[in-house]
Amino acid sequence: MTKILDITSNESKVKKMVKELVPKGNLDLCLTCATCASGCPATGIMDMDPRKFIRMAVLGLDEDILKHPWTWICTMCKRCMEVCPMEINIPLFIYQLRTQWPREERPKGILGSCDHHVSSRGGAMGVPLEDFQFTVDDLAEECREQNGFQALKADIDREGAFFALNQNSREPVTEPDELLPLWKILHMAGADWTYYSDMWGGENYCMFLADDDAWEKIIRAQVKKIDELGCKVFINTECGHSFFAVWQGLQKFNIPHNFEFKSIIEYYAKWIKEGKLPVNSDWNTDNIKFTVQDPCNIIRKSLGDKMADDLRYVIKKVVGDDNLVEMYPNKSNNFCCGGGGGALQAGYTEPRQIYGKIKYDQIKATKAPYVITPCHNCHAQIEDLAHIHEGGYYTVHLWTLICLSMGVLGEEERTYLGPDLAEYGL
Amino acid sequence: MSSKETIGSVMIVGGGIGGIQSALDLANSGYYVYMVEKSPSIGGKMAQLDKTFPTNDCSMCIMSPKLVELGRHINIELLTLSEITEVNGEPGNFEVTVFEKARYVDMEKCIACGACTEKCPKKVEDVYNEKLVKRKAIYALYPQAVPLKYSIDPANCIKLTKDKCGNCEKECPADAILFDDTDKTHDLNVGSIILAPGFKAHDPSGNPYYAYDNNPDVVTSLEFERLLSASGPNQGHLIRPSDHKEPDKVAWFQCVGSRDINNCNNSHCSAVCCMYAIKQAIIAKEHDPSLECTIFYMDMRTHGKGFENCYNEAKDKYGIKFVRCRVHSVFSEGEKGTVIDYFDEAKGVVVRDNYDIIVLSVGIEIDAETRDLTKKLEIELTDGNFVKTDTFNPVSTSRKGIYVCGALQGPKDIPQTVIEAGAAALVSGSALSSTRNTLTKKMLIPEEIDIRGDRPRIGVFVCHCGINISSVIDVAAVRDFAKDLPFVEYVEDNLYSCSQDTQELISTQIREKGLNRIVVAACTPRTHDPLFQETLVEASLNKYLFEMVNIRNHGSWVHKDFPAEATQKSKDLVRMAVAKVAQLEPLKEEVLEIHQDALVIGGGISGITSAKALSEQGYKVTLLEKSENLGGNANLIHKTANGQDVALHLDQMKDSVYEDNNIEILTGAELKNVDGFVGNFTSTIDTNGNKKSIQHGVTIIATGALEYKPNEYLYGEDDRILTGLELDQKFKENAPFLAESKVAVFIQCVGSRNNERPFCSRICCSHSVLSALSLKEKNPGMKIFVLYRDIRTYGEKENLYKEAREKGIVFIRYGINDKPVVKKEKDILSVVVTDHVLQRKLNIQTDLITLASAIAPNNNDKLGKFFKIPVNDEGFFAEAHVKLAPSDFATDGVFLCGLAHYPKPIDESIAQAQAAASSATRLLSRKTINTIGTTAKVNSSYCSSCGSCIEICPYNAPDFITEGNFEGLSEINPLLCKGCGACAASCRSGAIYLRGFEEFQIMEMIENV
Repeated sequence: MTKILDITSNESKVKKMVKELVPKGNLDLCLTCATCASGCPATGIMDMDPRKFIRMAVLGLDEDILKHPWTWICTMCKRCMEVCPMEINIPLFIYQLRTQWPREERPKGILGSCDHHVSSRGGAMGVPLEDFQFTVDDLAEECREQNGFQALKADIDREGAFFALNQNSREPVTEPDELLPLWKILHMAGADWTYYSDMWGGENYCMFLADDDAWEKIIRAQVKKIDELGCKVFINTECGHSFFAVWQGLQKFNIPHNFEFKSIIEYYAKWIKEGKLPVNSDWNTDNIKFTVQDPCNIIRKSLGDKMADDLRYVIKKVVGDDNLVEMYPNKSNNFCCGGGGGALQAGYTEPRQIYGKIKYDQIKATKAPYVITPCHNCHAQIEDLAHIHEGGYYTVHLWTLICLSMGVLGEEERTYLGPDLAEYGL
Repeated sequence: MSSKETIGSVMIVGGGIGGIQSALDLANSGYYVYMVEKSPSIGGKMAQLDKTFPTNDCSMCIMSPKLVELGRHINIELLTLSEITEVNGEPGNFEVTVFEKARYVDMEKCIACGACTEKCPKKVEDVYNEKLVKRKAIYALYPQAVPLKYSIDPANCIKLTKDKCGNCEKECPADAILFDDTDKTHDLNVGSIILAPGFKAHDPSGNPYYAYDNNPDVVTSLEFERLLSASGPNQGHLIRPSDHKEPDKVAWFQCVGSRDINNCNNSHCSAVCCMYAIKQAIIAKEHDPSLECTIFYMDMRTHGKGFENCYNEAKDKYGIKFVRCRVHSVFSEGEKGTVIDYFDEAKGVVVRDNYDIIVLSVGIEIDAETRDLTKKLEIELTDGNFVKTDTFNPVSTSRKGIYVCGALQGPKDIPQTVIEAGAAALVSGSALSSTRNTLTKKMLIPEEIDIRGDRPRIGVFVCHCGINISSVIDVAAVRDFAKDLPFVEYVEDNLYSCSQDTQELISTQIREKGLNRIVVAACTPRTHDPLFQETLVEASLNKYLFEMVNIRNHGSWVHKDFPAEATQKSKDLVRMAVAKVAQLEPLKEEVLEIHQDALVIGGGISGITSAKALSEQGYKVTLLEKSENLGGNANLIHKTANGQDVALHLDQMKDSVYEDNNIEILTGAELKNVDGFVGNFTSTIDTNGNKKSIQHGVTIIATGALEYKPNEYLYGEDDRILTGLELDQKFKENAPFLAESKVAVFIQCVGSRNNERPFCSRICCSHSVLSALSLKEKNPGMKIFVLYRDIRTYGEKENLYKEAREKGIVFIRYGINDKPVVKKEKDILSVVVTDHVLQRKLNIQTDLITLASAIAPNNNDKLGKFFKIPVNDEGFFAEAHVKLAPSDFATDGVFLCGLAHYPKPIDESIAQAQAAASSATRLLSRKTINTIGTTAKVNSSYCSSCGSCIEICPYNAPDFITEGNFEGLSEINPLLCKGCGACAASCRSGAIYLRGFEEFQIMEMIENV
């Protein structure tokens, strides 16, 4: 037993701050029932769990809690709050704690990504707009050479386009060929779309950094630009946190806007239902099994099980009804993979990987060789988990499979497929 | 006051155990009762239960006598399939409109043969069995239902919906089907109304986290109750619903639909779930001792009488695992069984486990229909939708003349419901006392057939008791065996011999077959003798021509692993009973007048309430108090849980008894001696040296209890360390140091839940939380810590706990093996305690320490001896039945209330005081009482005047004859004799015999062993 803590004169400033600033943030309401701890993948990491974190604040151990790195281990996945009998807003409590770290002491990876985004007015990787423009033009050119896509359009800031699309900067910068499947899908569905130029990167590490000002700045710039272009729908690519950053940012900062904000997955489902995307599962003659990761940000934290059902509708159409193997638990009760909340950039690699073990075990239990991850952070984390545990499964975007199913997936667009599908349909 | 005439009848809404108890109390004390029940039969939730905690009595077995009594009561009119639609008028004279749905079966004609159900082709979900199975569109609610009359579900009947089928009409041998039956409206005039509609169990469907909707192995506790029950879908054979495999592991999740403002909007604690989960786990274990049972909980709330003991047994004797964690969710949907993750507090890690069945311990809610009714009646509700009552009028609603009892008043268990039912009967009747016996009918007892000299013609009825007996004993074999015994004319076996249809069967067979002796082989005569005896009386037979054989307690229960031997033993017992019953003669009972005065012992809040309640009905009361002042512990209490000032109300109560001419108050008084028995007690009272003797027909024991004086935590060594009541005193004095204190600590369970006093003192958690909130009011900046083992703010008191947390009061849980340590160094007081979450030792420097001290019983031995009333292991008086007679004693004419029964808060004490008064009224209003027929008698020619009988009799029944031919010989007063047989056994001359147990009768039994 460590030394006796004297709590008599503790002032509990953290508790007061959270109560004032966080909706449903009265930590004193905690029943210490352990619902949160029993459902949290970060329980036990650094000998900490959400219940202990709340307790430290309740008992006024402010110094300990303000310095505790578990603040960056928690991914704010909200699995705790969903079931907390007192509905204590644990994710925002963590967020509030992140705000209390001196900015320069916050994890460098997250900090750098945020700063790059704001200073470049592009994305987290600091790529200048010209480079992005060049990549888009170049790839579009290339794509138009492929059979059936001669008329494909990919552009930036085209006024009057129906859809504005956001783009994570990872693809244009590190794997440009991955841009093409989504463009092909949009083209085949007859979507009238454009990228927008200001703060064009979909990712938002300023949110993870808990830098409200920067987060707001990014969203406001995007909104302004999209409204200037006159787009009717702002469509979010296959990425969880970028969706949540906009979805939550519009509400949190009360930003007026003239467009509707949607996830691309909703449109995949809509277009398939309308017959605009001729997907089918006939190609999967070997009945290759797929499982799916439900990204917290677009399911539990925002659109709920309806979104999860849309996701399953698309997948079943693409791989066959019987070839989707569920992880348990799933949908709104799914476990965070451990890649959320900025964890991939936070620098706590080992804890992040321990966090992800539960996800890895879930995946392995399905015995499926493919994990569909319609989210960039999930994708990166789940791939990393396969790598460190020698998992032997493949982590794929949904766009890859949709194009595969429609027979339009190009040779260079197969990075994430296994050898069984590497040649398929070429 | 209105000019309208007062009506001597009461309407009771709801036919559950609460409504039933109120109805019987009222109908047996001179009021006519209308019972309005929305389903086709009465019984309510209790009828769905397999067993009841903490004694694990078979629910139906203990309830059935009450159902039958109510069903055949001449002064209770049962309106089934009925609801109140409108209430006009005023207290004393309400005009009530009752809407009665068509039953489509003529209740006069239906003989409940079941032919209709057998041929009905339409299957419907069986609500009684929690929709686990199907029933037919024409049905009886359950086999022992009262009234046992079938009814047609009009929404599903093929004839009524599509004008096809009509099978039931063709099959019914009694021509009872009424397809053209119509809904009816009744306009009734009643003096008072009691609302007892009960609760709805929380419905967990729609919540994805418990997987209740899509995993059949996740069940509610009520469903599990049916799975355990002999009359349930699997005849009590426990199986996993998805594949009917026998389960290896079952888990219970507590607080589903309770103490939760996120997944539902129920901030209250449902007060019963901890105990029923323990009960279910024990029963499941008894079904299969290898079963692994785990209960996941937040705070184990075993705050009732005998509950803590049951909890300890569950842990120590049955090996049931208790894990303190509210489990996040259930998954592995679509597969068999379930997977959960729980948090291991000691290790700080998540543990994954699999269970075959997960039982969701669902809480108590008030359904929309009942809320609509209360709205229509303009009755105020609490935020949790329970009827708002005040501490000092616990069963009165906001509308005068309308009363409430049971779960609608607040979440509660059966004993508390029965107590409130008695209280509601008392206050609703009391308001109408001028009209007592104006609307009631007198029961006509049929003339007894003189069977003397007739050849014995014996009927034997063997009971299955659901599966309580038949799962071990071959009931059919026992029945067939009895058929061939001498003088046996008729044998039958019954699913439940105590049900109403069996009573009708016995009655019919007595008449048709000319039976003149009856044997029932079933359970215990202690609870069921009166029921069968009444059936004999109604069939014109003397009630003593009856024998009961206990093949359940003495057969299937004790020999459950030896079915063949148990069956043989049952046959032997039946043979003995048949041999004896053939020898029995009719016996006569004497009629005694009941003295109409009452003695109430104890002048605390319970005693005052009882005395006042009896006086208001015109009875004279002597109120005896040993101290110089009335008020008892209530004199020391500051506020009630709902914030009412105790002193203010207590003074009013005291004034009302002091001013009452019907009440004689004796303070400084002590009971010196008690003679007599029910209806005719003579008590000697010493009032400050003056002895006097009083006569009374009934006695109410309200002697209270004491706050335990601690001998730990430096109590007595520093005036900043107080007990809970001492702190209240400081509040009453408005002591300045309270507001000046910067830090206060409460330590719970001081002297409770330990080896010396294993019980929970029930009130200390709520009381400490209340006091902590009062301190916060005085000084909002005060830091307050409550050190507890389980917070037991049951029912709506949970809202106090929530409020306390909201206001920043910190609750720290300690373990019995790691108790807090109070230290005093240089005048600085501090407490060291291990925080249950951080698992670190904390030091709190404090200005005030309050020890939530136990409630310790008085020494009740002397009083126990005076009235022949038992005291339990813990020192509290033992009531007649923990579930259904919590305010009565096994000794007739003596009743119990308040802390002498068990620790309880003021509202519950008042309710019980009223319930005890209701029981007393039930007796007093009869005016006369029958003695028993099985009394001892002296054959004077053998008596040697030794006096042994006089010495040994606990009831003073024998005495020497003082004059005449038999002077000096012993004689037994049949009015005093209780038939215990002590005199007969001790008489060295063989001069005394006990009627009904005479030597030749006993010898006949022995010869038939």
